[in-house]
Amino acid sequence: MNIAGFYDESISNGVGWRAVLFVSGCPHHCPGCHNEKAQSFTYGEPIDKKNLLQRIQENSILRGLTFSGGEPLCPENIAEVLDFLYEVKKIKPNFDFWCYTGYTYEELLKRQDPVTEEFLNQIDVLIDGRFILELKDPDLTFKGSKNQRIIDMKKTREKKSIVLWENE
Amino acid sequence: MKIIKRDGRLCEFDRQKIIDAICAAMSRTEKGVDLQIAGRIAEEIEKFCEGKNEFSVYEIQDMVEKKLMDSSRKEVAQSYIIYRYNRDVARKSKTKDIFLDIIGAKANDITRENANMNADTPAGMMMKFASETTKPFVDDFLLESDVREAVKKRYIHIHDKDYYPTKSLTCLQHPLDKILNEGFRAGHGSSRPAKRIETAAFMGCISMETIQNEMHGGQAIPAFDYYLAPFVKKTFQEEIKKIGEVISKDCSHLMNYQPEDYIRKDAGDLKGDERYLQVAINNTVNRVHQAMESFIHNMNTIHSRGGNQVVFSSINYGTDTSAEGRCVIRELLNSTLEGVGNHETAIFPIQIWKKKRGINYEPTDRNYDLYQFACKVTAKRFFPNYINLDATFNQNNLWKEEDPERYRYECATMGCRTRVFENRFGEKTSIGRGNLSFSTINLPRLAIEAAHLAQERTGLYFPLGEGSEKHMTRIYKDTVLRIFMNRLEYYCDLTARQLYERYQFQCTALAKQFPLLMKGMWMESEKLNPDDRVEPVLKHGTLSIGFIGLAECLVALIGKHHGEDENAQKLGLKIITFMRDLCVGYAEKYNLNFSVLATPAEGLSGGFTKYDKHEFGIIKGVTDKDYYTNSNHVPVWYKCTAEHKAKIEAPYHDLTRAGHIFYIELDGDAVKNPESVQAVVDLMDKYNMGYGSINHTRSRCMNCGFENADANLERCPKCGSTDIDTIQRITGYLVGTTSRWNSAKLAELHDRVTHDECCGKESE
Ligand code: SF4
Ligand SMILES: [Zn+2]
Repeated sequence: MNIAGFYDESISNGVGWRAVLFVSGCPHHCPGCHNEKAQSFTYGEPIDKKNLLQRIQENSILRGLTFSGGEPLCPENIAEVLDFLYEVKKIKPNFDFWCYTGYTYEELLKRQDPVTEEFLNQIDVLIDGRFILELKDPDLTFKGSKNQRIIDMKKTREKKSIVLWENE
Repeated sequence: MKIIKRDGRLCEFDRQKIIDAICAAMSRTEKGVDLQIAGRIAEEIEKFCEGKNEFSVYEIQDMVEKKLMDSSRKEVAQSYIIYRYNRDVARKSKTKDIFLDIIGAKANDITRENANMNADTPAGMMMKFASETTKPFVDDFLLESDVREAVKKRYIHIHDKDYYPTKSLTCLQHPLDKILNEGFRAGHGSSRPAKRIETAAFMGCISMETIQNEMHGGQAIPAFDYYLAPFVKKTFQEEIKKIGEVISKDCSHLMNYQPEDYIRKDAGDLKGDERYLQVAINNTVNRVHQAMESFIHNMNTIHSRGGNQVVFSSINYGTDTSAEGRCVIRELLNSTLEGVGNHETAIFPIQIWKKKRGINYEPTDRNYDLYQFACKVTAKRFFPNYINLDATFNQNNLWKEEDPERYRYECATMGCRTRVFENRFGEKTSIGRGNLSFSTINLPRLAIEAAHLAQERTGLYFPLGEGSEKHMTRIYKDTVLRIFMNRLEYYCDLTARQLYERYQFQCTALAKQFPLLMKGMWMESEKLNPDDRVEPVLKHGTLSIGFIGLAECLVALIGKHHGEDENAQKLGLKIITFMRDLCVGYAEKYNLNFSVLATPAEGLSGGFTKYDKHEFGIIKGVTDKDYYTNSNHVPVWYKCTAEHKAKIEAPYHDLTRAGHIFYIELDGDAVKNPESVQAVVDLMDKYNMGYGSINHTRSRCMNCGFENADANLERCPKCGSTDIDTIQRITGYLVGTTSRWNSAKLAELHDRVTHDECCGKESE
C-alpha cells in the first residue's frame, strides 16, 4: 500500500492532537476532491510502518490516529489499514481511531465482508460519505460537506443503529 | 576630593582620566603624544583642586583647556575643543535625521519599536522625540565608558534606555486589595473603598492606569479572582436588600446565605425564599458579567502615557475556588469569549490562567470545569495563557489549601513573561514587587567573535555556521568554548555592573516621584515619606540579565542548534546554567535579586542582527535571517513536533527565573478542537515548564463575522467580502494588523512553522 502523506500531529482531523495517515488510491473521484493526486494507487511511497510506529510511539501529545486519504476502506487498502491499526493499538492501547471514508456506513455494511466488519468494530469514529462540492461549508467541524456524517461507532455498536458523534 | 559627574553622582578624582583625555587630543595633532606635558597638566590640576570640596566635570575640562592654551602645545587645545564641538554637531545632525523620520511618519524601524503603540499620532510623535533624544543623553552622561562601548557595538542592549533618566522602575504586580479596601490616597483627591463589583473592577483599571504613568513596563494583577470575590458577595447582599425593599419584607435572614455557585437559572417556578435567592443570584451574575465586560473594554480603550498607548496590562487568575471567585472567573471568561465591541478579540488585558493540581487541573478538582472553559476561550481568543504553579520552581511551601490568603504564595507573571517570585529580603511572592530593570546580552555576537579568535589561535580557517562542524578539530572546539565562556563572563560582569549602576541611580528618586506606586503599592513603601529616597524598598525588585539567540550562538560555536542536536542542547544548557550561576554570584556581591531572563525579542532582535550582519557578513544559520531567535527557543523555522520543542525548551525555564515562555504554534482551527489546547497545557505539566501560550491565527470577516484560522485569508468563503481582520501574537501581545510590526518581527512571523502538519511527509 502506498501512502500520500503522514502528519505527525494535527488538530484538524478529529478531536485532540492526532497523527493522520493519508492512504493512496481512491475509486470515488469526487469533483472538488481535496487531494486529487492521492486518487492514484501508485501515488506517494510504500508505507514504512516501522518509521511511522516509532514516530507515533515517541509523541505523547497524541490522543489518537486518523485514517484519511485517498480511500482507506476500498478493497485494495482496507486489509493493510486494519493491520496498521492493530500494530498501533499494540503500542498505544489508549488511542482512539478515526477514519474518513467516501463510502457511506450503509454501503460498508452491505459488503458483508469480515475485514470491513472487523475494522468497523475497532474504530471509534467514522466520517462517511463522498465529498459533494455543492454541499461544502467552511463552518463545518471535522468534515468537508454537509452530507457527511460523523458517526460515534462505539455508541452505534451498542445501540445497533447510527448514533452521531458529539463532542463532550 | 570628589568630582561631580554629569548625572550628579559623585566619584573620586582620577588623574589618569585627565591624562587619557589630553593624550587622545594630542594623538590627533601632527606632533603627536607628549606624556610629560599631559602628566604635568594633570598634576597641576590635581594640586589646584586638593583640599577643596567638589568640582564638576565641566570645571575640570575648562581647566584642561586653559592649561593647554598656556602650554607649548596650543594646537592640542584646539584639537580638544574641535573634538568636543564635532561630537556635538554629529549628535545634533543625527537627531535631525531621526526627527525628520518621525515627522515623515515613514514605516521605518524607529517608529515601530513597540507593536502596541501608535507612534504616528501627535502624542505618539512627542513620545518618540523625547525617547530618541534621551537615549544619546543616557549614553553620554549616565553610562560608564565600557558600558557605552558595549551598547554601541551591540554586545548588550539596555531595555527602556529612554526611561533611564526618569529613574522609573519596570513593572508591578498590584496588591489590589489595598486599593479596594482603603481607596486611593494619591494624586488629586481620593476615593473611597469599593462596595460593589462595578466599583471594584473599575478601581482595578484605575490602579493599573495610574501606575502605568509612574513606570516604564507593564502592569499586572496577580490574583484577580481573589481580589474581586468579596465584592461579588457584597453585590449579592445588595441584591437581597433590594428585593426586600421591593416586596416590603424583611430579608435580613437571607443576607448571610452562601450560594454553592453563582449560576443563572430561571426563578419562575421557585417560591418564597428560594425564589428571592435565585433572583438575587441571577442579578448578581448579570452585574458581575457587565463589570467584567467594562473592565476589558476599559483596558482596551483608555489611553494613558501621553494619550497614545493603552496599559500593558495582565491579570492572573484561576485558583480561587470560592463560589464568588468562581463567579468572577466564569464571567470574565464569558465576556472574553464574547469579545469587545463588534465581537472582536480584546488585545488587553493579557489573561493568565494559574494552573494548579488539586485546584483546577484534574477532572475531580473544583475548578476543573472553569479550566476546560478557559481552554475553549484560548482556542478562540488566544487568552488565557497558562502559568504552571506545579512547576517545582513556581511552588512555595507556605501555600496551604485552607489558607484564604493562599494566593500570596502563588507565583504570578506579567503577560510578556517577566517573572518575580524569589526574594532575598522576604518570603517568595510576586505581589507588590516587580522588575527594576533588565539588559540583554547578544549571544550570537559573542559566539562569532569567539570563533574568529579560535580560528586565529588554532590556525584552522573555515566558514562558520551550519555544517561547519566537519571542519572542527578537538583543539579548535576546546579553544572556541574557552574563549566564548570567558567573553560571556566578561559581558555578564559588565551587564551586572550596569544594572547595579542604574539601580543606584534609581535609588536617588524620591517617593513622591512615584505618587501611587510608593504609597504602599510597592512592597514596604507605606513606610516612606514623600520626600524620602526610595532606596530602602527597591531591594524587593529584581535585576535581570537577559539573553537572545541561543540557537544562533550554538550554530556559530559548533555548527548545530539545540533543537536538532543533543550535544548542542547540552552546550546550550551549560551556557545558560553558567549565566544562572554568575547571577547567583552577583546576588551575593551586590546583595540584590539578580536573575536570568529569557528575553522577549521585540525591538531588539532586528537591531542586533542588522549590525552583526553588517560586520560579519552572512553566516548560514546565524546571521542569514533578519532576526535572532527569541531567547532559548528552538528556531521558529525548524520543523519538529510540539513535544520535541517542549522537551528541548523545558529545562531552560528553571534556569531563567526572571521569566520565560513556551510557545506552540497551532495550525488548524482550535475553536473546533479545544482539547488541543488542553494537550499543550499537559505538555507543560509533563515537562515542568513555567509559563506557556498558544500562538495561532484568527482571521475574521468584518462583513459577516465568519472566522477561521487561515493566516492568509483574503476573501471570506461565506460572503465573499475582502474586509478581513487577521490577529496574531507578538511578544505575548496581540496585534490586529501586521502593519505596525517592525521588519525583524515580520520576518520571524513569516518563518514560523506551525505545529500542526509541520511534519507532513507529502511526497511530490
Ligand atoms: S472520497 Fe475523498 S479522496 Fe476520494 S475522490 Fe472523494 S474527496 Fe477525493
Ligand atoms: Zn463574510
